[in-house]
Amino acid sequence: MSLSTQDTETKAGRRDVVASLFRFQSLFGLVAVFLVAVIFSPRHDGELLFLNSDNLFNVVRAVSEIGIMAVGMTFVILVGGIDLSVGAVLGLAAVGSAVLMVESDFGVAAAVVIVLVIGVVFGFLQGVASAVFGIQAFIVTLAGMQVARGLARMWSGGQGVPIAYGDGPGQAPVTFSLLGERTFNGLVPIPALIFAVVAVVAIVFLRTSAFSRHVYAIGGNEKAARLSGVPVTRVKVIVFCIAGGLAALAGIVHAGQLNQGSPNDGFGYELDAIAAVVIGGTSLMGGHGTVTGTVAGALLLGVLNNLLGLHGVDPNVQLLVKGLVIVVAAGLQRLRPTT
Amino acid sequence: MARRRAVATVLTMAAALTLSVACGTTSENSGQNQQAGGPSEKCEGPDGEYTIGMSQANRAEPYRERMDDDIRAAAEDVPQFTVEFADAQQDNAKQVSDVENFLTRQIDVLIISPNEATPLTSVVAKAYNRGIPVIVLDRKVDGDAYTTWIGADNVEIGRTAGEYVAKTLLPNGGKVGELRGLAGSTPAKERGDGFRQGIEGSGVEIVASADGDWLRDKGQSQADAMFKANPDIQVVYSHNDPMAEGAYLAAKAAGKEKSMKFIGIDGLPIPSGGLKAVEQGRLSATLIYPTAGKEAVEAAEKILIDCAEVPKEQTLDTQLITADNAATVYNEANS
Repeated sequence: MSLSTQDTETKAGRRDVVASLFRFQSLFGLVAVFLVAVIFSPRHDGELLFLNSDNLFNVVRAVSEIGIMAVGMTFVILVGGIDLSVGAVLGLAAVGSAVLMVESDFGVAAAVVIVLVIGVVFGFLQGVASAVFGIQAFIVTLAGMQVARGLARMWSGGQGVPIAYGDGPGQAPVTFSLLGERTFNGLVPIPALIFAVVAVVAIVFLRTSAFSRHVYAIGGNEKAARLSGVPVTRVKVIVFCIAGGLAALAGIVHAGQLNQGSPNDGFGYELDAIAAVVIGGTSLMGGHGTVTGTVAGALLLGVLNNLLGLHGVDPNVQLLVKGLVIVVAAGLQRLRPTT
Repeated sequence: MARRRAVATVLTMAAALTLSVACGTTSENSGQNQQAGGPSEKCEGPDGEYTIGMSQANRAEPYRERMDDDIRAAAEDVPQFTVEFADAQQDNAKQVSDVENFLTRQIDVLIISPNEATPLTSVVAKAYNRGIPVIVLDRKVDGDAYTTWIGADNVEIGRTAGEYVAKTLLPNGGKVGELRGLAGSTPAKERGDGFRQGIEGSGVEIVASADGDWLRDKGQSQADAMFKANPDIQVVYSHNDPMAEGAYLAAKAAGKEKSMKFIGIDGLPIPSGGLKAVEQGRLSATLIYPTAGKEAVEAAEKILIDCAEVPKEQTLDTQLITADNAATVYNEANS
């Protein structure tokens, strides 16, 4: 009797260890890839180029847009949905930022607010179509992707709108160009800071709010959640609003970094955002996952890209490597003990 | 309650951070350079060893692939040079990262063929302001934070094509169909505008104009529709050779490839390029759009090995290719 209890206790203990290993899967993955990057880093006069502080911040800057979008995507995937429109919404937001400031003479604050509202409203409409009318999120956002691209093309007249800075008409306020700058002695890129702020806010929000318990409950078992009084429809609509708003924020950052809003911006970015979420250990079935994991997943992708780029590896090979990493990450999920 | 406070604290921190950031930034985008006048500080003469970083916008177009090949071939003749290539795959953001990676790897000269002007301007300025000579090919960047630009004049090329049509192909006037490059792209606009200048005052008129997006199959389907609507078109002016080849196929399907003339632009010296198409009689003429690859390596030699200055802009001449000179020019380019 006492022996078997002890036995089950050790088993349970071991399962806890295994479970927490999987919980931090993406962090371990990130550490592993980081170490690989250090070991295989190209050198110059004995210096490890990968560890150069400029380079490390380049990595974070390069993933900041994907990272911001992936944070929003995490919420959608946690309720068992998907948002394929975020890349196109990024393009729409980039165009919007450029056109509003350059052609319509809006100030930075007004333009940013309008663009964010557009993103949120876009997400809201998709959320309603998906949660209220019960159309699959995949289909709704596939359609949303086309609509956002079409709107971006119409709004921009089909071509990139360059952003010039200054006080005159046809020029954007200089403040907006801060998005392309670095601070703390020219070291830390502003987009990386914005990504960090978004991530920290989302992590705290997801750990502490009642809303987040509803998110996990819906992803775990939607019917049960509904029966136990979770406002399923409302929560689902809100997560799409979050994803749309963050995609728009990423679009603003994109326009600021490249000094242009082009309707082709963000093409294919939704796949990188989904990849970051999956590598981060969030289950595509919903219910399991964390923003911390997503951030680690985005950084992991960034470190990989950087290492391959520093070695001058053919970008087509980079795609292969990225694909393999996604498959490995998703494969590890299947080994995860169900709790 | 405690939760609310936690969220509020985070938000306050975020706001404070953003503010502190906004105050501490410096502007890096302008082209105040330390290089103007005098030789580059990177120059170590013929005893040095130099790494060239070549950032290509994309390798999916034969023209850009040829540019990389020209640079590779020219650099092989300079023992001091090694070249690293990067391919941005038509993505501005990727090209920015490519250049940043080159800076991390501490290249000695940057050659860049920008995907688009404005988005690449600030990273090019960053390289230039760090004392790295920058050679810009084909498309320009904004401002003046680069060492030299080498490219061709698309308006001039279009004008030459127009004059050739007006003087040689249709001296008594006639009807032209135009296949345009991708709508909204600079070369499409310039090649179209130049052609119109070239035919001005002659009896030649453009009766139809369609977007072929630089693509052979799109050119073919657009030409097909164009010939049905305007059966009296005598000459097709195409903004590049592949679309002209597409138009030739469309005419062939309608059984009138013999009675029509086709001219393109680019004249790439590769087996599938415009020079061969002219030599084999499918196209009447093409105009060479030089890749500037060889000239870029020559400029790098001047800057790094001769410690000399190079002109801020070098516009390369085009050349009209007809059946008379197509084979000669092809062989010269591949010798």
